[in-house]
Formats: sequence, C-alpha cells, structure tokens
Amino acid sequence: MRYRFQELPGIGGRARPVVDLVVEGLELAPQTCLLDTGATDVRMGGHVAELAGIELATTPDREVVIGGLRTTGRAARVQLELRQSFGSHIWSPTVYFCDPWPWAFGLLGLAGLDPFLAIVDAYEEWVELQPLSR
Amino acid sequence: MPAASPKTVVIAKRHFELWRDQVEQRMRDVQPEPIASHYVVIDSRRYPPKQVVSIITGVDRADFTSHHARRILTGLGFPAGRRQLNPELVERNEGGDWVRVRRGTAASAPSPRSAGSSMRPSARELEPFIGEWVATKGPDVLVAARDPRTVVSWLAEHRQQAESMFRVPEEEYQASGIAPL
Repeated sequence: MRYRFQELPGIGGRARPVVDLVVEGLELAPQTCLLDTGATDVRMGGHVAELAGIELATTPDREVVIGGLRTTGRAARVQLELRQSFGSHIWSPTVYFCDPWPWAFGLLGLAGLDPFLAIVDAYEEWVELQPLSR
Repeated sequence: MPAASPKTVVIAKRHFELWRDQVEQRMRDVQPEPIASHYVVIDSRRYPPKQVVSIITGVDRADFTSHHARRILTGLGFPAGRRQLNPELVERNEGGDWVRVRRGTAASAPSPRSAGSSMRPSARELEPFIGEWVATKGPDVLVAARDPRTVVSWLAEHRQQAESMFRVPEEEYQASGIAPL
C-alpha cells in the first residue's frame, strides 16, 4: 500500500514522507511517523506512552539528541501495527519515548524499518512499506 | 463584517438576542463534536450548527433542526459548509451550482501526484491548526487541540477512529527528521 506524503502549511512547501503506526493501547489515534533513514531508532513523544498506558517508571532514562535538541528518552519494547489495504503488519521494536517532544511526528528510524522493504518516490510524493518474510 | 448588531431569533417559540462576539466567546473553550454533514466555522474551527445553537441558547437540540441552526449562525456572519461525504469526491461550483466530482477531475483538485495512495489533509486544510495536535481521517481534521491528551479524550468520548495524529508544525525543525548527533 502506498502512503501519501503529508503536506504542511507554511514551512517551505515540501510534503514529508510519513506513515501512521498504531501503538498498542492507542488504537483510536494512529501516530504519524516521519520516515527517518538517517536515524537508528524509533522515537515518539512521552505523551504517547502515557496515553497508551505503557509503563516507563522503572525504565532507565538516557539523553537523546535529535537535530541538535536534547531530550530524555525511555526505551520500551512496544507492539506497532502498520495497517495496509488488506490486513496489517504487526511487529515489536524498541521505541524511545522522549520528553520534551517538540516535533510534529514520531521518527521511524532504521530499527523501525527492519521488517520492510521501503520505497520512497519523492517526486510523486508517496512511500511504500512492503513487509518482508525474513 | 455582518452582525455588528444583535440578531433576534425565535427557537422553539422562545426569543433570543444573539451577538456574533458573544457566540465566539462562548464557544472558545468548547471542543467541536463530530461533523455529520453541515458545519459552521467559528474561530477557524468547524462545529455542527446544532451544537452551537444549543450551547448559546440552552434550548434542547430536539427542539430545532440543523437547517434552522445553520440559518441563524450564517445570519450572524459565520461561514458554513458541508463535509465531503466521500473523500474521493470534491465539491465544485459549476455555473453557480455545487456538484460533486471525482477528485482529480476538478479544476481545483490537487495535482495527480500520489494518486492511488491514502488520503491526507492538504496544507490548506491544516493551516488553521498550526501549533496544535490534530487527529485526521482521510482529508478531514476530526479534532484539534493544544494538548494531545485532549485530542485522544475527544476521540474516545465521541467514539471516533482517527487515521493519523500529529502536531501541525510551527517551525521547520519540528517537521524535520535529523539523525541524532
């Protein structure tokens, strides 16, 4: 299935490659994540863990620097679901939930792309994630 | 701007004097309910007309129609519209008549780029919500709020299923995926 880039108002006019991931426990609001092949991990705002009921209190925190901004992340293995036209793909990567989180989207780094063949058509503005059987 | 003076209306045999400013002020902290079909725009947010009239007058929604509410609010100068019932269709004005045409055949439709892929709100749709968290479904914004918790609470309360949730960025860096240093 192809996922359309997200257009954004007033910041340069270039649409961004995103997909929507269902975080276990937060099914009614899939989280839009930017495909970030320059990043190694999956990162989301700390509010996502809070809303999904993911317990992080006993998890050690670590400093994370994203785009020159420092934030604090706590890691958890979380079930994510990518809904396709027919069926869906479910996998459980490690996700860093960070506070503060000033970004617009979650960041889907390489660890989140492991189970897929990712195709990005920047001109036509779509991305396709094909699940692989490894 | 119309309605600098009050508008007197009759709803369920009761008389009300309504001011545009008063409506805006009253609705400022009220989250819009899901839009079934018609809506009015107040402070860049879309509300079902019946929700607004019910809140500002206290009259039970069963005592007036959606068309009546819409007429009252457009009379106060609020723009009104109708939700696209099928995201593959857009409304286009042809010779003064609104007709529904398939996306991509309308003169005002977006470019055919990414045709065949999932639908998302356009930059124009998102413009009123810069700096806010939004939950979207197809090309529509279901709800917007400053706090993501408010967005999720609204979805749960109104039994709505979003397709996407994100913050409409104010600054370039907020939309950028830059590798960790």
